[in-house]
Amino acid sequence: MLKQAWQRWLDRRLPRARQVQLDQRRIFIFPTGYGFLYLLVSVLLFFGGINYENNLILGLCFLMVSLFLVAILHTFRNLSGLSLRAGASRSGFVGGQGSVEVVLIAQRRPHRALWLRWLDQPAQEISVEPGEESALWLNLPLSRRGRTRPPRLRVESRYPLGLLRSWSLVALDQVCLAWPRPQESQDCPADGGDRERQVASAGQSGSEEFQGLRGYVPGDSLGQVDWKGYARGRGLNVKLFEEPASGRLWLRYDRIEGVPVERRLSILCFWVLRLSRENRPFALVLPGAELPPGQGEEQRLRALNLLARHGEAD
Amino acid sequence: MARIYQIPSHARGWLTLAIIAASLPQLWGGPLWQAGLLAVVLAWRALMDRQRLVLPGRVMRLVLLVATVGATFYSFGRLHGPEAGTALITSLFALKYLELVSKRDAYVLIVLGYFVCATILLFHRGPAMALYVIGCLILLTASLAGINYSDTHAHRRQHLTVAAVMVLQALPLAIALFVLVPRIAPLWNMQLDSGQARTGMSDSMSPGQVSRLTESSELAFRVQFEGQPPPPRERYWRGLTYSYFDGTTWRQASPPGWDRAQRFYDGRGPMPDWYQALLNAAVDRTGYRYRVIMEPSRQRWLYALAVPFTDFDGTALARDFRLVADGPVNGAFSYRVRSVDVTGAVPALSDAERRLMLDLPEQGNGEARALAQRWRQRHRDDRALVEAALRYFREQPFFYTLEPPRIAGDTVDEFLFGTRRGFCEHYASSFTFLMRAAGVPARVVAGYQGGEMNAGEYLQVRQYDAHAWSEVWLPGQGWVQVDPTAAVAPERIELGLRGAFEQAADGAAGEFDGLNRLPVLFQLQQWADYVDFNWQKWVLGYRQQSQRDLLERLLGAVTPLRVGLALLTVVLVFSVVLGLLVLSRRRDTPVSPLEREFARLHRSLSQRGLRAPDTLSAAQLEAAVTRRWPSAAGAAGHWRRLFEHLAYRDRGTPGTADLAALRRRRRAVLASLASPRRAK
Repeated sequence: MLKQAWQRWLDRRLPRARQVQLDQRRIFIFPTGYGFLYLLVSVLLFFGGINYENNLILGLCFLMVSLFLVAILHTFRNLSGLSLRAGASRSGFVGGQGSVEVVLIAQRRPHRALWLRWLDQPAQEISVEPGEESALWLNLPLSRRGRTRPPRLRVESRYPLGLLRSWSLVALDQVCLAWPRPQESQDCPADGGDRERQVASAGQSGSEEFQGLRGYVPGDSLGQVDWKGYARGRGLNVKLFEEPASGRLWLRYDRIEGVPVERRLSILCFWVLRLSRENRPFALVLPGAELPPGQGEEQRLRALNLLARHGEAD
Repeated sequence: MARIYQIPSHARGWLTLAIIAASLPQLWGGPLWQAGLLAVVLAWRALMDRQRLVLPGRVMRLVLLVATVGATFYSFGRLHGPEAGTALITSLFALKYLELVSKRDAYVLIVLGYFVCATILLFHRGPAMALYVIGCLILLTASLAGINYSDTHAHRRQHLTVAAVMVLQALPLAIALFVLVPRIAPLWNMQLDSGQARTGMSDSMSPGQVSRLTESSELAFRVQFEGQPPPPRERYWRGLTYSYFDGTTWRQASPPGWDRAQRFYDGRGPMPDWYQALLNAAVDRTGYRYRVIMEPSRQRWLYALAVPFTDFDGTALARDFRLVADGPVNGAFSYRVRSVDVTGAVPALSDAERRLMLDLPEQGNGEARALAQRWRQRHRDDRALVEAALRYFREQPFFYTLEPPRIAGDTVDEFLFGTRRGFCEHYASSFTFLMRAAGVPARVVAGYQGGEMNAGEYLQVRQYDAHAWSEVWLPGQGWVQVDPTAAVAPERIELGLRGAFEQAADGAAGEFDGLNRLPVLFQLQQWADYVDFNWQKWVLGYRQQSQRDLLERLLGAVTPLRVGLALLTVVLVFSVVLGLLVLSRRRDTPVSPLEREFARLHRSLSQRGLRAPDTLSAAQLEAAVTRRWPSAAGAAGHWRRLFEHLAYRDRGTPGTADLAALRRRRRAVLASLASPRRAK
């Protein structure tokens, strides 16, 4: 109850955004345990100064208290003005981890010894000098398939004196995609292709005719790169094969029956990975979505993302 | 075993320096093993940081701890009390550095360091030491900043800068708190008894005791007069009276059976009649008003001119016209006094008092008693008898000297008829003896006489101004001060001890000669004392009373509400001002004079209607101006060329002359906009 109210209040006060600049509305500040120890010592000095009627000890006590007040401002200042921007994200399988990139931008002043963490993950430390940007990848455990929003990011700093902790809970409008967890299945849920060949070993089999070379484009499968030619200095090229129509596999959602949705997606995911590993062309047909035939790294990512997004409202 | 926390290498130096600096004052005067311990710890730690040695094991650490506690007990004879406690804390502080294994330990070590700084101030209270402690504070804060910045490429100096800036920013508020936070009376009594003997008056007087004090030029107290100070020969600072003589030594005494109210009045309870009488006599006389700032004497008696009246802020008036503090003066102590010479106002001597003031040992010093009897037979009148005694001292060959020969046995006879060379205590003692032997009630008064003005502002009274004189009771006149030393050596009273020996060119005055030959040194000493005086008065002596006085002047009246509001206001104003300063944006982006020039021109142009973003280059700005105001093309080109020249030449930042030229060209651009025709 209380937690929910707190979350609601946070959402109102610090709404999700692509980029957030920390200011007094977003920064909280409180003494650390050492801060309290420090204050305790100054209180002891106060009583010592009173009892020994020693004005210098009293003066030292007052100086310590003022230093603490000054430290509040400086600790606040270390966070204030820092901008955080949602960066790229890396997807992962359910049960594993994805990661998202957070870019820290220091505009006018340095922001030192910042600790970034969410949930109960170990914090990462980073410093940003004025006019600089630094990026940090933060791991995000993925528990459900689909688009996962990272929780609020805790940006914390104790710099300069460690007597106070200033922090902010930043919600960046950022998404990490969770692919279904692959599940092994003997039966390939596919149309077309050659049943007998589906589980054949990887590599270019004799049934494919070598057609020629074309220039490498990022995303091409590394298995098809003409490495020999590259070693001879002919540049990075990709070998093209004429695909027999029968070699193309149409992975179909509706070929799997009698299992729940997530299970189906997991099986499809397994085959997408397997076919990609074997470097074979495939296509994917889901209800309401279709991926045309293709192969290579790009095809694999597209297929996985499609699987991850299956059933989403948008 | 968990990984040992490593202090970042850029912070290690500051921490080591802070530890040395915070321990140094204690090591300086403390036992030698403490310095040894610190050296061992620092060396061990340095080797550990270079992976040459491992952390001492638990047994080793325990042995070190027990050895430290044992050594402290051996050196000081106890573990409690300020001196032993400070030594122990300083040693434990060093040991803690050795067993620093986690970041938590580092924090605890540094916070302990702040405490060690405070213990320095228990024993050293000079302005220089206060500055030194602020330095230690900066070092500790720099270490704190260092351990909070674990980046390996941090610069060492940046921590010190951060710490120094923060401490300097904290100073104004600390001063305001110092002034405003109410001083309360000690919650429980803590005696800072260091066992150190202080030079100064003692509660008894035997031959040679006062003259020993003259070897010391230590300060006894300072006096600041409101208005004209009394002439030197009237500056008799009473400290105590001695009424009991045992043949060699004079001691303090009061008639048997007297209770406290008969001897003291501290402002509480009904006024005793003797105080009432003094007050009545003093009520319509001005006297002298002044403030006395005592040096720690570890004694309760205070010094003032007779008869001192105070508002009883920690002091009480004794029946023999002297002030007594409520407790020993261990720290800086100051009090305001109004002195009015009304010694005669005391009602007649009681029998018990008269008996005490006439009391002499049963026997001994027969020659002196005989002399007193002869005087008594010749002079019936007490006043004449006193005159005769003074004449005797003046006319017989008595010498005033700092190095009187040792006397033993019948000290009065020895001195009066034997050596005849003596210091003030010899004269006061023998004079009082003679008076009592002749039947005149008398007592010895001890204190200081004279004092030197510094900078025309205050009087310094030093140990060598120590003096003893006599007081006799004359019927109808009450207690009358008689100084037999003045009869022998009037220059002592007129010129002070230094003056007296300068004139006499006595060999004993070597110390003073040395000072006089170097007037610069003497002047420096006076300045140092002036600083010290104000430090004593405004910092160390800022107590309940002086705080009330100052706050009354600042706030009008001292009520808890006003003081609270003032405190709140000060803290708020400080936070806002400092917040603006620290968080202001302008300070974060340093603007060069050239950029400022550019921004000024850009602002003036946009006020005149030029729409252009402020990210333009100088050439783009010129083009924009030329497009809008063709007449200003020439001036704008002029401006642009100089701007670019100054901005891109590699002879560093432009000087003031360059900037002035640029400013003129900027004005020319603006002028050519305003009156296009004339510009043509």
